[in-house]
Amino acid sequence: MTTTSPETGGHPGAPSPPGLAGGPGDMTAPGVRVRDLVVVYRTPLGELPALGGVSLTIEPGTITGIVGESGSGKSTLALSLLNAVQPPGRISAGSVEIDGLGNVLELGGDDLRQARGRHLGYVFQAAQNSLNPLKTVGKQLLDLGRSHGADDPRALVRDARSLLERMGLDGARVLDSHQHQLSGGMRQRVGIMLALVLNAQLVILDEPTTALDMITQATILRIVREVHKERGLTTLMVTHDIGVAAEVTDRLAVMYGGRVVEHGPTMDVIGAPSHPYTQGLIRAIPRLSGDTAEARALPGRPPTLGTLPAGGCVFRERCPLRMDVCETVEPPPVLVDRRTVACHAVAGARQERVVREERVVREQERVGREEERA
Amino acid sequence: MITGTGVTKTYKQRGDVLGGRTVQALRGVDFTVRKGGAVSFIGESGCGKTTLGRIIAGLETYDSGEIVINGVPMSALRPRRRQPYFRRIQLIHQDPYSALNPTRTIHQTLRAPLTLRARQTRRSDAWVDDRAEELLSLVGIDPGYVLGRYPHQLSGGMRQRVVIARALTVDPEMLVADESVSMIDVSMRLSVLALLKDLRERLGVSLVFITHDIATARYVGEDGELYVLYRGQVVERGGTEQVISAPEHPYTQSLLSAIPVLHGLEQPGPERVVPTEALDERHPDAGCLFARRCPFRTERCEAERPALRRGADASHERACFHAQRRSVIPVEAVA
Repeated sequence: MTTTSPETGGHPGAPSPPGLAGGPGDMTAPGVRVRDLVVVYRTPLGELPALGGVSLTIEPGTITGIVGESGSGKSTLALSLLNAVQPPGRISAGSVEIDGLGNVLELGGDDLRQARGRHLGYVFQAAQNSLNPLKTVGKQLLDLGRSHGADDPRALVRDARSLLERMGLDGARVLDSHQHQLSGGMRQRVGIMLALVLNAQLVILDEPTTALDMITQATILRIVREVHKERGLTTLMVTHDIGVAAEVTDRLAVMYGGRVVEHGPTMDVIGAPSHPYTQGLIRAIPRLSGDTAEARALPGRPPTLGTLPAGGCVFRERCPLRMDVCETVEPPPVLVDRRTVACHAVAGARQERVVREERVVREQERVGREEERA
Repeated sequence: MITGTGVTKTYKQRGDVLGGRTVQALRGVDFTVRKGGAVSFIGESGCGKTTLGRIIAGLETYDSGEIVINGVPMSALRPRRRQPYFRRIQLIHQDPYSALNPTRTIHQTLRAPLTLRARQTRRSDAWVDDRAEELLSLVGIDPGYVLGRYPHQLSGGMRQRVVIARALTVDPEMLVADESVSMIDVSMRLSVLALLKDLRERLGVSLVFITHDIATARYVGEDGELYVLYRGQVVERGGTEQVISAPEHPYTQSLLSAIPVLHGLEQPGPERVVPTEALDERHPDAGCLFARRCPFRTERCEAERPALRRGADASHERACFHAQRRSVIPVEAVA
């Protein structure tokens, strides 16, 4: 059994003071450790938890997919990494440690502003909505450079052009364009360029291919993968589409009702899902070959902030493995093989297996001893 | 049964002072949807699939060509006389959030068309409420739960079921579902697709399924036909299973190759095709419409437009001079 040690790799020497790092000497992919993160939203019904104590370790240099349906808390988690949860939301507990930055939840003011952009690049869901329609891409690039104290605008433009060209675009033309002159796929690449141009080593992509056509989506996913590798990034991709995550990520975290219910290597999670929710989600994907009758719908509907049960497992309403304990006790994440799973049934089965294996080992030892004696 | 021959549609785009450019949404499309059959139109945005769906549902005019419904050519009828034909073809919109009136309860939403129906068929008022409950049960929701509620109190999946129930109030012969699950949460999509499939089997309604997601088209219409549209032209058509497993047009192959691979369960197809450049609608119309992006193009492709022709199999047609079967879809991973 391999363990996913939370402290693998990580700390690049002495953490540089926030806001000043990002030079060429500090190019190691950072690791991220989210611990017991709670984010609540103020509603007329009181404060409701969008994230109910999420712990997640993102290892340096990986592409991690965060998959979940609407209301699962995936976007809230991504925004928390930037300490950018907006009211009525509020981070009420927990920590987000990023190598080289420390606990971003303790950053504020200019330190936080510098960290975003220099350390953390964020590619927004609809790149067209994050670009200023009145300014050319080049002008926005220069604004970005100025606000982050980049002293050499020529170098910045040069970097931006080479990034755009790397992604198969005519760099000069794109920098001279307004956003309406670019197609959806081109805007998405501009978004990626703006996230990377200040040498951020942790990049978060929020639904980067939603609303793009299939072929454009495939192109963007290929680019994400290539750029990730070439620049040695830690990449986080938030998506509702498990297929998209399966195509590009190394590791996969599945979210449901404000919890990470399963997290592990993508191949393992897709190939042999453990959590009943992950199993249901994968079984509900229509495929291009094989028996269509094998695809099964997941019964019920995902919870919203208002319908989340106050105690017990958040998935129990839809769960085929529901037990009495699920009503009252929230399942803690348990390490099973190479992944963490938050499910009483899975943890119970593992416990049984461990007990059984121990019994077999003891039996073998006993037989061995008897043979030795004989 | 509905057939279309040579259906064309051109949109004028508003442009600058010198006038806009025109977009050919459909360039002479032929199609047939048999009674109880399933036909899927697939392609990228701008390929004309939505326009075609709206024309089939009688919600959009066309410039030339002919639509024949149950043997009656529509061009021979005045617009008012066409209505009874098109009423039996119901469109299910992409967005169940805007397709329902937010100020009406589900009961009110269903009662309006049912009351009309009751008057036409001389049925009693009691029938209206019974039928509303019956339809909701048919689409798999508890009438007691939804009838008194407003759309905002329902999930996306439930709303889409209500939209389908409303379409069924007129006893349609055909449903036209345009990207009908793309706005629904992933875990609930399959149940709506299963409903469409089930309605086809149980009520014998035919289904026109419009999507960019080929796997969902296969799920609802495995035994039906698949049409691949590119810039307003049908570039490949045939049995759904056949087009997916043995595509012959490089554009179909590109679309299938672009579908994400479920690593862990699948491996990429051995002959995946990647277009040489991105879609640009300003590409010239001369020759094959896909030539600029096609990795297999020759001089002939740039000079001449290939027509839809039969291949080895009579029911499988494609518009390509260099049609060749390639194995592009993911294959099961070896455990």
